[in-house]
Formats: sequence, structure tokens, C-alpha cells
Amino acid sequence: MTTSTVVVKAPSRRSLGLRDNLGRWDLAVSPYLFISPFFILFALVGLFPLAYTGWVSLHRWDLIGGELGWAGFDNFTFVLQQRQFWVALRNTASIFLISAVPQLIAATAIAAALDTHLRNKTFWRMSVLVPFVVMPVAVTLIFGSMFGERYGLVNRTLSDIGLGPIRWHTDPLASHIAIATMVNFRWTGYNALILLAGMQAVPRDLYEAATIDGANWLRRFFLITIPQLRPTIVFVIITATIGGLQIFDEPRLYDQNGLGGEDQQWMTMTIYLYKLGWNQLNFGRAAAVAWLLFVVIVAVGLLNLFFTRRIASSEDGRR
Amino acid sequence: MQRLRSATKTLGVAIVAALALVACASGSTTNQSSEPVKLTLATFNKFGYSDEMLAQFHKLHPNITVVQNVAATSQAAQDNMFTKLAAGSGLGDVEAVEVDWMPKLKQYSNLFVDLSTGDTKSRWLDWKTQAATVNGKLIGAGTDIGPEAICYRSDAFAKAGLPSDPAAVSQLLKGDWSNYYTVGQQFSKANTGVAWFDSAGATFQGLANQYQNFFEANDGSVIATTNPDVKNAFVSVLNASSSSSAHLQEWSTDWNAGLANGAWATMLCPSWMLGVISGNGPKIKDWKIANVFPNGGGNWGGSYLTVPKQGKHTAEAKELALWLTAPEQQIAAFVTTGNYPSQVGAYSNPALTGAVNAYFNNAPIGQIFADRAKAVTVTPYKGVKYAAIMQAVQDGLTRVESKKQTIDASWAQVVNDIKALS
Amino acid sequence: MSVLASIERRRALARIEQRPGAIVYGLLTFVLIASVFPFYWSFLIGSGDAGTLSDTGMSWIPGGNFLHNVRAVIENDSVNFWHALANSVIVSSVISASVVFFSTLAGFAFAKARFRGRRGLLVFVIGTMCVPTQLSVVPLFIAVSKFGWTGSLGAVIVPGLVTAFGVFWMTQYIAQALPDELVEAARIDGASMLQTFWRIALPVSRPAAAMLGLFTFIMSWTNFFWPFIALNQSNPTLPVALATLQANYFVDYSIVLAGALLATVPLLTLFIFAGRQLVEGIMRGALKG
Repeated sequence: MTTSTVVVKAPSRRSLGLRDNLGRWDLAVSPYLFISPFFILFALVGLFPLAYTGWVSLHRWDLIGGELGWAGFDNFTFVLQQRQFWVALRNTASIFLISAVPQLIAATAIAAALDTHLRNKTFWRMSVLVPFVVMPVAVTLIFGSMFGERYGLVNRTLSDIGLGPIRWHTDPLASHIAIATMVNFRWTGYNALILLAGMQAVPRDLYEAATIDGANWLRRFFLITIPQLRPTIVFVIITATIGGLQIFDEPRLYDQNGLGGEDQQWMTMTIYLYKLGWNQLNFGRAAAVAWLLFVVIVAVGLLNLFFTRRIASSEDGRR
Repeated sequence: MQRLRSATKTLGVAIVAALALVACASGSTTNQSSEPVKLTLATFNKFGYSDEMLAQFHKLHPNITVVQNVAATSQAAQDNMFTKLAAGSGLGDVEAVEVDWMPKLKQYSNLFVDLSTGDTKSRWLDWKTQAATVNGKLIGAGTDIGPEAICYRSDAFAKAGLPSDPAAVSQLLKGDWSNYYTVGQQFSKANTGVAWFDSAGATFQGLANQYQNFFEANDGSVIATTNPDVKNAFVSVLNASSSSSAHLQEWSTDWNAGLANGAWATMLCPSWMLGVISGNGPKIKDWKIANVFPNGGGNWGGSYLTVPKQGKHTAEAKELALWLTAPEQQIAAFVTTGNYPSQVGAYSNPALTGAVNAYFNNAPIGQIFADRAKAVTVTPYKGVKYAAIMQAVQDGLTRVESKKQTIDASWAQVVNDIKALS
Repeated sequence: MSVLASIERRRALARIEQRPGAIVYGLLTFVLIASVFPFYWSFLIGSGDAGTLSDTGMSWIPGGNFLHNVRAVIENDSVNFWHALANSVIVSSVISASVVFFSTLAGFAFAKARFRGRRGLLVFVIGTMCVPTQLSVVPLFIAVSKFGWTGSLGAVIVPGLVTAFGVFWMTQYIAQALPDELVEAARIDGASMLQTFWRIALPVSRPAAAMLGLFTFIMSWTNFFWPFIALNQSNPTLPVALATLQANYFVDYSIVLAGALLATVPLLTLFIFAGRQLVEGIMRGALKG
């Protein structure tokens, strides 16, 4: 952990009494009290929906008509045999990788740039957050229009410079890139600021010592900043993984139907479950997909965590 | 530290105050005895129910106040309705429903109030009430309908050597769909730089609405995969589209831009499409309307007002729904929004019969759509799975149009997708 | 400290604190342009008319219509603009204040306190973020209507009062930024957990708390689907109210985008205040001892 000079008062001599007992009690109970608001509220608005969805997934359940009988794991086995399920999984993984990897690299670079001694710090720091503020309806309208295959700005520009048009909706990979662009547009600045907050907590004297030892900015960055940033990096990777695998708004608004394309080119898992639940009114199957997605997210999250820990600790000699 | 203390105190007070505010604001449902009643009317898009109209209702029923909630799109309204039906509460007293999702609701007709009293049913066109009737129970009061004509670009027709005035074009296109496609071939050969129609998908919609049992039999069982009509329609539209289509999927941003740039020469035109064409293409001056439709007539779209049983004032709500769909109100809505009335009593109204649309070169839309409405002979049976099946078929059409698959491969996938719906 | 060492230190400081060069400014300018570009394009369309969005020959100079479109938005009968704006301000303020407070509280406990089940409970918190919420709308609506909150702001505020993300974020930040020694010292001084929280954890977490507050405010401000289901026209939040501008077969997007931009203005003003919080970490001062 960080070392710093802190003056520690010598413990005063007091007899063991009520004060100490209260202190011990306080130490033991306060943590639970502090975390209880979250759990109480969660029990109400989080746990109940979760349990409900779990219950629904085990039944044949029509959205309007309600419960139609016990189904055990039938919904799960049915869904796992659907071509569309695996296509959705492929799409989700693809969009996730295409968006998350460049985004995090860019966010780190931007955060490093923002951590320097800029003039007008506030201006620059807030400027990266502007995309986050633009309302989703405007973002999807603009990007949807930009990526139109026939009349969109991107394809028109490409033809102007002599390259052919790209089939932004018809071709799966191209659609993933377009959607990843929308996602990155919105979230890169956000993640950059999170990383910046972490960078700001790195003590200056570490940099001083390294500079005295002759390290240039590159070495300072990789040998001090990144290792010190480990908890923040872990945090960003976990939240980006969890969020990235659940992308919904961008693929939903990418075309007028909102179902992921005629050949499911960009249908993510959350779109698939929306389609099952709201379009086909099959609540049971939709709930099954929701829980399968949960398993996928946890698995991928743990995987990410494992790799991040390994990479971060191998670079950092201290731990 | 002092600053911190007072800051947190202010924070605490603020939170408590806000929560108190919330608690006070939440008491909206007043259960007063019998008199003042507040009705919520939930619509989407533009139904044309202006404040003046609602004030008029209030004058007739002084104890009833009507508040209108407008959802942006039919999809949003549908999501909202299904959530609240599932939850068992939260719906408005009168809920607007589009004909596309009416089949799903007909399955749960017990959740809605019967709107037929005495002669109410005969007020509407037959085929309009049929689509909202379950076992003799009328669950939806028809608002507007979408009788289809053919909109065409007269300059493009002239350039291609085809007749270009409305009467002549009506003659030209009178016949069946093969005739429509053949004229289309002729048009395309002339190389005007403009396609014949916008997409296979849109054209297919027109076809599908002309069959009694297209995707489903009257008992709800799915026949789409075995009904030869469906496969024939699928193949014939796609064959025509290879030379005649602009390949622009309806409602996409490219389609909107296509309208702005005049990318095609004809399209299936339900009455509500006029506003879309004129709004998207202000610079295009040669759109006209031909009083004709392949195979006679068809209807596309249209809505209903339903009264959910979960409401607290169903009797008053029923009054409101029937009043809003009466001829006078339907005409008033027509004047503001162009939504075409569905009650027979409205068709003799001069405001309707004399109506003319300037953008479409003064086409007599009142007359045209009255004729087209009368030409509708078939009420397509639409069951619970209709929308999902149509979506699967539309996807299949788009896949071929975007050259991703051959017709046969695409049809095979459509069949698989339809089978997975059960 | 020897003279040599202090000279070295001063030199090192000078090197670290020198103004960044062209690469940094170049990168940031690029990011600025990329961020603002769609924003500017929205403005272009918002200052045009109904045909501007589809106009392939659209110019890059704004038309003169923006104020006119803004007036159309504000004066639109079904939009209820000022009421929706007030609602959004109330909802977002309460939610972000609450999230910041309770997340910092829980984060402090998870990061610095030792208690049974700490690991497991933290994992549980993170786990709750992993379940997709598209279907939760139905049971949540059932729960909310049982409490009779539908149509009132409570339906939108209560589910948002604490978030797993907030708890996780503050836990990580406090774990990294608040040294154990400070906490120990406070405890030895006789401070209770609560006092330690007030006096030490809160000030230390200020940059992260400001960030969390800002993010939460923005996300609740732009949230559409749940408020759409839970509220209604007579009591909407801003995105729900603005959505009615799209209620038509043919949508005039110049007005829709003018409305979207209008809804962004309060957030931009918030930037100015929050920005100051994020500029300099108080941390550096606190640690120097």
C-alpha cells in the first residue's frame, strides 16, 4: 500500500471500560450498518425481480397470460438449441471485444494525457465527458444516419475518396464496428475519467524518486502508474465487461425494427431476450436467456479478473 | 470539519425534504364517491384528439375530465401495454391499440370491456369490426383505417413512356400483382434512373393483407410454412424486386433519404402514408395518387380504442371511446392529421368527400380512399403469432434483397424461424 | 536533506511538472473534435427543418431555425416542458445525492473495515450487476404498484437510491486512496466508525464522490425506459416528455434534436460545477502529512 509519513500519537493509558466496549461493539457492528442501506433497497428492487425472473424461467409463461405450467429446464434446453441463441452469443462477444479493447486502451491514454500539467484542466477534463451527456436519441439518430448504406455520410465520404461503400447494416462485422463506435463514443470519456481519478491518487513522491533515478515518462508510466492503478484497472475491466456483455440501447436503436437485423447480424443476447419476451410474448424462454447470459457474464468476468491480476502483479515487484 | 458537518446536515435535510415532496406528490388517485371522474386516454403517434375535442367531451359530460397520454411510437405504446397487462395494473382508462398487435390482445379478451351495445357494431365497416371481435364480443372501437391506393411519380412515368394522369394510371395498374410487376418491368427497361417500388418487404405487406388465411388457419394453427400462397407470394415479389426494387427497407434512414431523393416511382399508399411522403420529400413535386390497387383493395394499419377492465371507471371510459370514434370526431381528426375515418357515417360528410391534398397535385383523397375502402373484401385472419411470423418473412425478403442469400436458402431459414416460434 | 538531494528533487519535480507537449495536446484536441462532432451535427439539424436530416447536400453551417425549434419544443402542449424539467432535476438530484452518500458509506465499510462475510458480500454486490434487467421491468412494476407509487416520482427515485456500481466504485477508490494508517490513527484517537467516516473517508473520497455523483446524475437524467413505464404524461421526466415529439408517422427531427439539445443544457451547466471538484485531488495534500 502507499507509504507516507503520518504522525502517530502514542496510545493513551485508559482503563478498560465502557468506552472500550462501545468501541469494540462499534467496530463489529458499524460495518454491517453501513452496508445495510444497499442491501435493504436491493432486497426490494433488485432481489424480487431477480427471483421473479428465475421463477419465470422454470415455467411456460406468457407475458400477458401468465403462468402456463411447470417447464423445469425445458426453456433452457430449447433456447440452447436455437441457432439464434448462438448467433447472439457470437455477436455479443464480437461487439464486446471490438468495443472494449480499443476503448480501454484509448481511455488509459486519454487519462494519462489529462493527468499532466495542462492549462485549463477543467475544460479538457470535461470535454471528454461531452459524449456521455448527449441524449441517446440524438446519438442513435446521428450515427444511424451516418452509417446508412446508401445515403449515409460515411459511405458517401468513402466513395468520394475512391473506396467502395461498406455494408454497415448488411454485413455482420461492419455492423459490429459501427455499433462499437457508438458505444465507444459514449463510454470512452467516462472510463478515462475513472482511470484519471485513480491516477490522481498515486503519490507524487513515487514519481519524484523514479525521475531522480533517471526514468523517462514512458518508464514512469509503465513502472509506477499502471501498477499503482491496479485496483482501478480491475474495476474498469470488470464494469466494462459486465456492461459490455449487456449492450442493449445501441444495437436496439441501430435500425427501425430494433431486433438486431434480418439475419441477426447485430442481435446481442439482450436483444434476443427482448425479442423472446416482448415480441413473441414468451416470458419463460426470455427469462431462461437472461439467466444463461448471467452465467456467461460471471464466467467472462472471472476470466478477465484472473488475467488482469496476473498481468498487473507480474509487472509490479512490490506485491 | 465544521463545513463538512453543515454540508452533510444540508444533504440530510435535502434528502428528507425531497422524499417528503415525493410522498406528497404521489397521492393522485382520489376515490371520491360518484361525481368527478378523471379518465386517462392513452394514444400514440397522432390520433388527432385535440384539446378542443376533449374539452367538447367535458362539456357534454361535465363530471368527466379527460387527460391524454401520448406515447411516441406504436412500439413504445405496445411495450407499455404489455408490461402493464402483465403486471395487472397501470393502464389508462382508454388505451389505443394498433391493428398489428390486436391479435395478441384478442387472446385475452376477458381483460377488456365489451364495446358493443345495440347497433354500435354496424357503425363501422364490416372488416374493421371483425378484426376486433372475439366470439361476438367487440373489444376495440375502430378509429382510423388505412385503405390502400397506389401513389406514383407522374414525371418519372412520363419519362418512361407510360401514361401519367391519374385516370390513365388507374387503368394501367388495374389487375393483379403480375400486372403490377409487368408494368414495372416495362418501366425499369426505360432506364429512368429511378426504381419501380421501394422494397420487396413493403410490397409483400400489400399482398399478405388480401388473403383470408395467409399465415394462420382460423383456429390459430400456423399454416405459413405449408400454404402455397405464402411461398408463391414470397418468390414472385422477390423475382420482381431483382429489377424493380430500390432495395431500401421501409422506415430506415436510407428509406427516408430515398424519399427525399425520389429513389422510386410507385409505392403502396395507405392513407396515413401521405404525410410520410410529403414530409420526407418536400422537394419532390410530381407525386400523384391513382385510384387503383392490385387485386382490387387492401387495408394496411389502422387502430382501435380499447377499454381495459382493470380501470376504475369502465362505464365512462366506454362512453369516451364510442364518442371519440363517432363520425363527427373522426372527421375532425381527419382534418388535422389525415387519419382516414372508419365509421360508415363519416363517408357522406362533405369535409371528407371534398378533401383534396395539395402536395399530391390536388388529388381528391376523400373520394379515392372512400373507393379504396369499399374495395376491401377480405378481412385477413390474424392470430397471436401473426406479427412474429410476418417479421420472420420480412427478414427473409430483406436477406434476399441485400443479396445475402438466394431465394431458396432464405425461404429455408424463414421456415426454420417460424417453426421455432412454437 | 543534503543539498545535492534537494537539487535533484527540485529537478525531478520540474521534469514531472513541466507543461505537456504537442502529443498530449494533439491527442486531446482529436478527442475533443470527435466528442463534439455528433453534438455539432445535432445542432445543425436542430437549426434546420424537417428535411435537414435526410438532406444529403446539407451544409455545415447552421441554419437559422434553432431558436424557433426550441420555442416549438417548449410551447408544445403534450411536452409539458418546464414540469418535466423540474421533475428531472428533482429525480436526478435526489438519486445522485443518495447514491453518493450510501455508496461512500458502504464503500468505506467494504474497503477499510474487517467483518465477517466482507468478501462474500462484496462479490454478491458485484454479482448483482451481472443479471440483465430487461425483464425486471415487469416484476419491478408489480412491486412499485403494490406500494402505490406508479405515476409519482417515487417510482423512479426509490429503485435508484443505491447502486451496486456506486458501492463497487467507492470501495475500489477508498481501498486505493485511503491509507490504513490514517484509519488506524483515527481509531486510536478514539474515533468511532462513523466519526472516522465523516472526518477522514468523506474528504478523501471527494474526487471520486464528485465523479460518481456526476455520472449518476447524467445516467438518471437520460434514462428513458423505466420512467416511461412507471410515470405518465402528467408527471414525466424530461426524456419521456421529449419522446412525444416523435409521436407522428412523419417525425420532424429538427424539433426532436432541438429538444434533445435543450435537455442537455442543464447537464452542461453541471459540468462547470462538478469540473472544479475533479481538478485537483485533495488526496495529495492529505497524504503529505
